[in-house]
Amino acid sequence: MAKFVYKVVLTIAFLSLLHSAISAAQHRSYIRLNELEFTHLPLDVFIQTLLSLFTIMYAVLHLAGDFKEIKASAELENKSWETFRNIPSFYVFSHRGGKCSPSKASLEESE
Amino acid sequence: MANLKRKLERLRSIRENNERASREVVEIWESVISKNLENLGKEKYVVLEQICIAALDCFKLGIAEQCIRELYDEFPNSTRVRILESMLYEADENYKSALQILNDIIKQDVNNSSARKRKVAIYKSLGKNAEAIKELTDYLKIFAADVECWQELSEMYINEHDYNKAAFCVEELILHNPHNHLLYQRYADVKYTQGGLENIELARTYYYQAFLLNPRNMRALYGIYLASTAIVNNTKNLSLKKKETTNKIIDWCLKEIKDKYTKKSTSDLEEKLAALEI
Repeated sequence: MAKFVYKVVLTIAFLSLLHSAISAAQHRSYIRLNELEFTHLPLDVFIQTLLSLFTIMYAVLHLAGDFKEIKASAELENKSWETFRNIPSFYVFSHRGGKCSPSKASLEESE
Repeated sequence: MANLKRKLERLRSIRENNERASREVVEIWESVISKNLENLGKEKYVVLEQICIAALDCFKLGIAEQCIRELYDEFPNSTRVRILESMLYEADENYKSALQILNDIIKQDVNNSSARKRKVAIYKSLGKNAEAIKELTDYLKIFAADVECWQELSEMYINEHDYNKAAFCVEELILHNPHNHLLYQRYADVKYTQGGLENIELARTYYYQAFLLNPRNMRALYGIYLASTAIVNNTKNLSLKKKETTNKIIDWCLKEIKDKYTKKSTSDLEEKLAALEI
Protein backbone atom coordinates (compact mmCIF):
# COMPACT_ATOMS: atom_id res chain seq x y z
CA MET A 1 0.00 0.00 0.00
CA ALA A 2 2.77 2.42 0.98
CA LYS A 3 4.57 1.43 -2.21
CA PHE A 4 1.56 2.47 -4.24
CA VAL A 5 1.49 5.91 -2.58
CA TYR A 6 5.16 6.41 -3.40
CA LYS A 7 4.58 5.35 -6.97
CA VAL A 8 1.83 7.96 -7.32
CA VAL A 9 4.09 10.59 -5.76
CA LEU A 10 6.89 9.62 -8.15
CA THR A 11 4.62 9.91 -11.19
CA ILE A 12 3.30 13.30 -10.13
CA ALA A 13 6.81 14.56 -9.45
CA PHE A 14 7.99 13.39 -12.88
CA LEU A 15 5.03 15.12 -14.56
CA SER A 16 5.83 18.27 -12.61
CA LEU A 17 9.47 18.12 -13.69
CA LEU A 18 8.36 17.68 -17.29
CA HIS A 19 6.00 20.60 -16.88
CA SER A 20 8.76 22.86 -15.58
CA ALA A 21 10.95 21.86 -18.52
CA ILE A 22 8.20 22.82 -20.94
CA SER A 23 7.70 26.14 -19.09
CA ALA A 24 11.41 26.88 -19.34
CA ALA A 25 11.38 26.14 -23.06
CA GLN A 26 8.35 28.36 -23.52
CA HIS A 27 10.04 31.16 -21.59
CA ARG A 28 13.05 30.89 -23.90
CA SER A 29 10.93 31.09 -27.03
CA TYR A 30 8.98 34.04 -25.59
CA ILE A 31 12.26 35.90 -24.99
CA ARG A 32 13.52 35.07 -28.48
CA LEU A 33 10.29 36.33 -30.10
CA ASN A 34 10.42 39.60 -28.15
CA GLU A 35 14.14 39.94 -28.83
CA LEU A 36 14.96 40.39 -25.14
CA GLU A 37 18.26 39.53 -23.47
CA PHE A 38 18.14 36.19 -21.55
CA THR A 39 19.33 36.64 -17.97
CA HIS A 40 17.69 34.02 -15.76
CA LEU A 41 14.70 31.70 -15.53
CA PRO A 42 11.57 32.99 -13.78
CA LEU A 43 11.58 32.18 -10.08
CA ASP A 44 8.43 29.99 -10.12
CA VAL A 45 9.87 27.67 -12.79
CA PHE A 46 13.12 27.46 -10.87
CA ILE A 47 11.40 26.51 -7.61
CA GLN A 48 9.14 23.99 -9.31
CA THR A 49 12.14 22.26 -10.91
CA LEU A 50 14.01 21.97 -7.65
CA LEU A 51 10.96 20.85 -5.69
CA SER A 52 10.02 18.14 -8.17
CA LEU A 53 13.63 16.93 -8.31
CA PHE A 54 13.76 16.46 -4.55
CA THR A 55 10.35 14.79 -4.51
CA ILE A 56 11.56 12.34 -7.17
CA MET A 57 14.66 11.56 -5.13
CA TYR A 58 12.57 11.00 -2.02
CA ALA A 59 10.12 8.68 -3.76
CA VAL A 60 12.84 6.70 -5.55
CA LEU A 61 14.68 6.13 -2.28
CA HIS A 62 11.55 4.53 -0.88
CA LEU A 63 10.83 2.48 -4.00
CA ALA A 64 14.33 1.20 -4.75
CA GLY A 65 14.19 -1.57 -2.15
CA ASP A 66 16.27 -2.35 0.90
CA PHE A 67 19.75 -0.97 1.24
CA LYS A 68 22.80 -3.00 2.07
CA GLU A 69 24.34 -2.40 5.42
CA ILE A 70 27.51 -0.35 5.50
CA LYS A 71 29.10 -2.62 8.09
CA ALA A 72 31.58 -4.78 6.22
CA SER A 73 30.81 -7.91 8.19
CA ALA A 74 27.04 -7.67 7.79
CA GLU A 75 26.98 -10.17 4.93
CA LEU A 76 29.00 -12.69 6.87
CA GLU A 77 26.76 -12.67 9.91
CA ASN A 78 24.65 -15.61 8.78
CA LYS A 79 27.47 -17.70 7.40
CA SER A 80 28.61 -20.68 9.34
CA TRP A 81 31.93 -22.44 9.35
CA GLU A 82 30.20 -25.40 7.72
CA THR A 83 29.72 -23.65 4.39
CA PHE A 84 32.75 -21.43 4.69
CA ARG A 85 35.25 -24.23 4.99
CA ASN A 86 33.78 -26.08 2.05
CA ILE A 87 36.13 -25.65 -0.91
CA PRO A 88 35.02 -27.25 -4.17
CA SER A 89 38.53 -27.28 -5.70
CA PHE A 90 39.70 -29.70 -3.04
CA TYR A 91 36.78 -32.11 -3.00
CA VAL A 92 37.85 -35.66 -2.32
CA PHE A 93 35.61 -38.46 -3.53
CA SER A 94 37.02 -41.35 -1.56
CA HIS A 95 34.52 -40.94 1.25
CA ARG A 96 31.78 -43.18 2.54
CA GLY A 97 29.19 -41.53 0.27
CA GLY A 98 30.60 -43.47 -2.67
CA LYS A 99 30.78 -46.80 -0.92
CA CYS A 100 27.22 -46.52 0.40
CA SER A 101 25.75 -45.43 -2.90
CA PRO A 102 23.26 -47.92 -4.33
CA SER A 103 24.77 -47.55 -7.81
CA LYS A 104 28.29 -48.43 -6.95
CA ALA A 105 29.32 -50.03 -10.21
CA SER A 106 32.52 -48.42 -11.42
CA LEU A 107 32.92 -47.25 -15.01
CA GLU A 108 34.22 -50.52 -16.40
CA GLU A 109 31.75 -52.69 -14.55
CA SER A 110 28.78 -50.69 -15.77
CA GLU A 111 29.77 -51.03 -19.40
CA MET B 1 8.16 -24.70 -16.25
CA ALA B 2 7.74 -22.84 -12.96
CA ASN B 3 9.14 -25.90 -11.28
CA LEU B 4 12.25 -25.78 -13.47
CA LYS B 5 12.74 -22.13 -12.63
CA ARG B 6 12.44 -22.80 -8.93
CA LYS B 7 14.91 -25.66 -9.08
CA LEU B 8 17.41 -23.57 -11.05
CA GLU B 9 17.07 -20.92 -8.38
CA ARG B 10 17.83 -23.52 -5.73
CA LEU B 11 20.89 -24.72 -7.66
CA ARG B 12 22.11 -21.16 -7.90
CA SER B 13 21.75 -20.59 -4.19
CA ILE B 14 23.65 -23.81 -3.50
CA ARG B 15 26.44 -22.59 -5.78
CA GLU B 16 26.59 -19.17 -4.21
CA ASN B 17 26.42 -20.35 -0.61
CA ASN B 18 29.02 -22.98 -1.30
CA GLU B 19 27.02 -25.83 0.18
CA ARG B 20 27.99 -29.43 -0.41
CA ALA B 21 24.40 -30.58 -0.96
CA SER B 22 25.37 -33.17 -3.55
CA ARG B 23 22.51 -35.57 -3.02
CA GLU B 24 19.96 -32.82 -3.41
CA VAL B 25 21.64 -31.59 -6.60
CA VAL B 26 21.56 -35.08 -8.08
CA GLU B 27 17.89 -35.42 -7.14
CA ILE B 28 17.14 -32.13 -8.89
CA TRP B 29 18.92 -33.45 -11.97
CA GLU B 30 16.94 -36.68 -11.95
CA SER B 31 13.57 -35.05 -11.36
CA VAL B 32 13.70 -31.96 -13.56
CA ILE B 33 16.87 -31.01 -15.34
CA SER B 34 17.69 -34.20 -17.25
CA LYS B 35 14.47 -33.80 -19.26
CA ASN B 36 14.89 -30.09 -19.84
CA LEU B 37 18.50 -29.82 -20.96
CA GLU B 38 17.61 -27.53 -23.86
CA ASN B 39 15.62 -25.08 -21.72
CA LEU B 40 18.37 -24.14 -19.32
CA GLY B 41 19.41 -21.03 -21.22
CA LYS B 42 22.75 -19.40 -20.59
CA GLU B 43 23.14 -21.11 -17.23
CA LYS B 44 23.29 -24.53 -18.87
CA TYR B 45 27.02 -25.17 -18.71
CA VAL B 46 27.51 -23.88 -15.17
CA VAL B 47 24.65 -26.09 -14.03
CA LEU B 48 26.11 -29.07 -15.89
CA GLU B 49 29.45 -28.59 -14.17
CA GLN B 50 27.77 -28.35 -10.79
CA ILE B 51 25.74 -31.49 -11.41
CA CYS B 52 28.79 -33.34 -12.65
CA ILE B 53 30.71 -32.67 -9.43
CA ALA B 54 27.68 -33.52 -7.29
CA ALA B 55 27.18 -36.78 -9.18
CA LEU B 56 30.81 -37.71 -8.59
CA ASP B 57 30.28 -36.98 -4.92
CA CYS B 58 27.36 -39.45 -4.86
CA PHE B 59 29.29 -41.94 -6.99
CA LYS B 60 26.75 -41.71 -9.83
CA LEU B 61 29.41 -41.97 -12.47
CA GLY B 62 26.91 -42.43 -15.29
CA ILE B 63 25.38 -39.02 -14.72
CA ALA B 64 28.79 -37.39 -14.44
CA GLU B 65 29.88 -39.02 -17.69
CA GLN B 66 26.79 -37.74 -19.45
CA CYS B 67 27.44 -34.18 -18.22
CA ILE B 68 31.06 -34.32 -19.32
CA ARG B 69 30.01 -35.55 -22.77
CA GLU B 70 27.59 -32.61 -23.10
CA LEU B 71 30.32 -30.20 -22.07
CA TYR B 72 32.86 -31.73 -24.47
CA ASP B 73 30.38 -31.26 -27.32
CA GLU B 74 30.33 -27.55 -26.61
CA PHE B 75 33.94 -26.97 -25.57
CA PRO B 76 36.13 -29.67 -27.15
CA ASN B 77 39.46 -28.11 -26.12
CA SER B 78 38.63 -26.75 -22.70
CA THR B 79 41.00 -27.59 -19.84
CA ARG B 80 38.17 -27.03 -17.39
CA VAL B 81 36.27 -29.95 -18.88
CA ARG B 82 39.42 -32.04 -18.93
CA ILE B 83 39.80 -31.43 -15.22
CA LEU B 84 36.24 -32.66 -14.76
CA GLU B 85 37.21 -35.78 -16.70
CA SER B 86 40.19 -36.31 -14.43
CA MET B 87 37.84 -35.99 -11.47
CA LEU B 88 35.71 -38.73 -12.99
CA TYR B 89 38.75 -41.03 -13.05
CA GLU B 90 39.51 -39.95 -9.53
CA ALA B 91 36.06 -40.90 -8.26
CA ASP B 92 36.49 -44.21 -10.08
CA GLU B 93 39.74 -44.65 -8.11
CA ASN B 94 41.73 -44.72 -11.29
CA TYR B 95 44.26 -42.24 -9.92
CA LYS B 96 46.89 -43.02 -12.55
CA SER B 97 44.77 -41.79 -15.44
CA ALA B 98 43.63 -38.78 -13.43
CA LEU B 99 47.21 -37.77 -12.67
CA GLN B 100 48.15 -38.34 -16.30
CA ILE B 101 45.53 -35.82 -17.46
CA LEU B 102 46.49 -33.29 -14.80
CA ASN B 103 50.20 -33.55 -15.58
CA ASP B 104 49.44 -33.03 -19.28
CA ILE B 105 47.46 -29.90 -18.45
CA ILE B 106 50.21 -28.53 -16.23
CA LYS B 107 52.80 -29.25 -18.92
CA GLN B 108 50.74 -27.24 -21.43
CA ASP B 109 49.94 -24.41 -19.07
CA VAL B 110 52.21 -24.01 -16.07
CA ASN B 111 49.91 -21.47 -14.45
CA ASN B 112 46.82 -23.64 -14.36
CA SER B 113 45.88 -23.43 -10.72
CA SER B 114 42.88 -25.74 -10.64
CA ALA B 115 44.89 -28.64 -12.08
CA ARG B 116 47.49 -28.20 -9.35
CA LYS B 117 44.78 -28.09 -6.70
CA ARG B 118 43.30 -31.33 -8.01
CA LYS B 119 46.71 -32.94 -7.70
CA VAL B 120 46.71 -32.02 -4.04
CA ALA B 121 43.25 -33.51 -3.70
CA ILE B 122 44.44 -36.77 -5.28
CA TYR B 123 47.29 -37.06 -2.78
CA LYS B 124 44.77 -36.38 -0.07
CA SER B 125 42.43 -39.15 -1.17
CA LEU B 126 45.38 -41.52 -1.40
CA GLY B 127 46.08 -40.71 2.25
CA LYS B 128 49.50 -39.23 1.44
CA ASN B 129 49.09 -36.18 3.63
CA ALA B 130 52.76 -35.26 3.76
CA GLU B 131 52.98 -35.18 -0.03
CA ALA B 132 49.77 -33.21 -0.30
CA ILE B 133 51.14 -30.61 2.10
CA LYS B 134 54.39 -30.41 0.18
CA GLU B 135 52.58 -29.97 -3.12
CA LEU B 136 50.37 -27.29 -1.61
CA THR B 137 53.24 -25.34 -0.05
CA ASP B 138 55.05 -25.44 -3.39
CA TYR B 139 51.92 -24.07 -5.00
CA LEU B 140 51.59 -21.32 -2.38
CA LYS B 141 55.17 -20.23 -3.06
CA ILE B 142 54.02 -19.26 -6.55
CA PHE B 143 50.45 -18.13 -5.82
CA ALA B 144 50.71 -16.61 -2.36
CA ALA B 145 47.39 -14.79 -2.62
CA ASP B 146 45.26 -17.88 -3.07
CA VAL B 147 42.96 -17.74 -0.05
CA GLU B 148 41.27 -21.10 -0.35
CA CYS B 149 44.64 -22.83 -0.54
CA TRP B 150 45.73 -21.25 2.72
CA GLN B 151 42.51 -22.47 4.23
CA GLU B 152 43.00 -25.99 2.93
CA LEU B 153 46.58 -26.00 4.13
CA SER B 154 45.51 -24.98 7.61
CA GLU B 155 42.98 -27.84 7.68
CA MET B 156 45.65 -30.29 6.59
CA TYR B 157 48.06 -29.11 9.27
CA ILE B 158 45.29 -29.47 11.84
CA ASN B 159 44.78 -33.05 10.68
CA GLU B 160 48.49 -33.59 11.24
CA HIS B 161 48.26 -31.90 14.68
CA ASP B 162 50.76 -29.28 13.62
CA TYR B 163 48.95 -26.40 15.28
CA ASN B 164 51.72 -23.82 14.99
CA LYS B 165 51.76 -24.02 11.22
CA ALA B 166 47.96 -24.19 11.05
CA ALA B 167 47.78 -21.00 13.11
CA PHE B 168 50.19 -19.35 10.69
CA CYS B 169 47.92 -20.23 7.76
CA VAL B 170 44.88 -18.81 9.55
CA GLU B 171 46.83 -15.62 10.30
CA GLU B 172 47.42 -15.35 6.58
CA LEU B 173 43.68 -15.78 5.99
CA ILE B 174 42.84 -13.05 8.49
CA LEU B 175 45.18 -10.71 6.64
CA HIS B 176 43.27 -11.38 3.45
CA ASN B 177 39.87 -11.11 5.04
CA PRO B 178 39.94 -9.02 8.20
CA HIS B 179 36.16 -8.71 8.53
CA ASN B 180 35.36 -12.38 8.70
CA HIS B 181 34.41 -13.43 12.21
CA LEU B 182 34.75 -17.12 11.35
CA LEU B 183 38.46 -16.75 10.77
CA TYR B 184 39.05 -15.10 14.14
CA GLN B 185 37.03 -17.87 15.73
CA ARG B 186 39.06 -20.48 13.89
CA TYR B 187 42.34 -18.93 14.95
CA ALA B 188 41.16 -18.90 18.55
CA ASP B 189 40.06 -22.54 18.22
CA VAL B 190 43.52 -23.52 17.03
CA LYS B 191 45.24 -21.58 19.79
CA TYR B 192 42.91 -22.96 22.46
CA THR B 193 43.55 -26.49 21.25
CA GLN B 194 47.26 -25.87 21.40
CA GLY B 195 46.90 -25.20 25.12
CA GLY B 196 49.21 -23.39 27.50
CA LEU B 197 48.21 -20.28 29.40
CA GLU B 198 49.68 -17.83 26.92
CA ASN B 199 47.89 -19.42 24.00
CA ILE B 200 44.61 -19.54 25.86
CA GLU B 201 44.83 -15.84 26.64
CA LEU B 202 45.52 -15.14 22.99
CA ALA B 203 42.59 -17.37 22.06
CA ARG B 204 40.33 -15.39 24.35
CA THR B 205 41.34 -12.14 22.66
CA TYR B 206 40.49 -13.61 19.28
CA TYR B 207 37.18 -14.97 20.54
CA TYR B 208 36.42 -11.43 21.72
CA GLN B 209 37.14 -10.07 18.27
CA ALA B 210 34.99 -12.72 16.58
CA PHE B 211 32.17 -11.94 18.99
CA LEU B 212 32.59 -8.23 18.36
CA LEU B 213 32.31 -8.73 14.61
CA ASN B 214 29.27 -10.93 14.93
CA PRO B 215 27.36 -10.98 18.22
CA ARG B 216 25.46 -14.04 17.03
CA ASN B 217 28.53 -16.25 16.98
CA MET B 218 27.69 -18.76 19.70
CA ARG B 219 30.93 -20.63 19.38
CA ALA B 220 32.89 -17.49 20.09
CA LEU B 221 30.76 -16.81 23.14
CA TYR B 222 31.31 -20.31 24.45
CA GLY B 223 34.98 -19.96 23.60
CA ILE B 224 35.21 -16.85 25.78
CA TYR B 225 33.60 -18.81 28.59
CA LEU B 226 35.95 -21.79 28.24
CA ALA B 227 39.08 -19.68 27.90
CA SER B 228 38.16 -17.49 30.87
CA THR B 229 37.48 -20.52 33.05
CA ALA B 230 40.82 -22.00 32.06
CA ILE B 231 42.57 -18.75 32.92
CA VAL B 232 40.94 -18.52 36.35
CA ASN B 233 41.72 -22.14 37.20
CA ASN B 234 45.26 -22.33 35.90
CA THR B 235 46.89 -19.05 36.85
CA LYS B 236 48.58 -19.37 40.21
CA ASN B 237 49.03 -15.80 41.37
CA LEU B 238 46.15 -14.04 39.68
CA SER B 239 45.47 -10.69 41.34
CA LEU B 240 42.18 -10.42 43.16
CA LYS B 241 40.87 -7.67 40.93
CA LYS B 242 41.63 -9.60 37.78
CA LYS B 243 40.01 -12.68 39.23
CA GLU B 244 36.87 -10.75 39.96
CA THR B 245 36.58 -9.32 36.46
CA THR B 246 37.20 -12.71 34.88
CA ASN B 247 34.52 -14.25 37.04
CA LYS B 248 32.16 -11.50 35.96
CA ILE B 249 32.91 -12.31 32.34
CA ILE B 250 32.23 -15.99 32.95
CA ASP B 251 28.87 -15.25 34.58
CA TRP B 252 27.92 -12.88 31.83
CA CYS B 253 28.78 -15.45 29.11
CA LEU B 254 26.74 -18.16 30.80
CA LYS B 255 23.77 -15.85 31.18
CA GLU B 256 24.02 -14.75 27.55
CA ILE B 257 24.25 -18.34 26.28
CA LYS B 258 21.27 -19.39 28.37
CA ASP B 259 19.25 -16.39 27.20
CA LYS B 260 19.97 -17.11 23.57
CA TYR B 261 18.99 -20.73 23.84
CA THR B 262 15.78 -19.97 25.73
CA LYS B 263 14.82 -17.57 22.99
CA LYS B 264 15.57 -20.19 20.35
CA SER B 265 13.88 -23.17 21.90
CA THR B 266 10.17 -23.31 21.36
CA SER B 267 9.46 -26.32 23.52
CA ASP B 268 10.46 -26.66 27.13
CA LEU B 269 14.20 -26.37 27.47
CA GLU B 270 14.37 -27.73 30.97
CA GLU B 271 12.62 -30.88 29.93
CA LYS B 272 15.30 -31.53 27.37
CA LEU B 273 18.05 -30.81 29.87
CA ALA B 274 16.42 -33.22 32.31
CA ALA B 275 16.39 -35.85 29.62
CA LEU B 276 20.10 -35.27 29.08
CA GLU B 277 20.97 -35.69 32.73
CA ILE B 278 19.67 -39.24 33.10
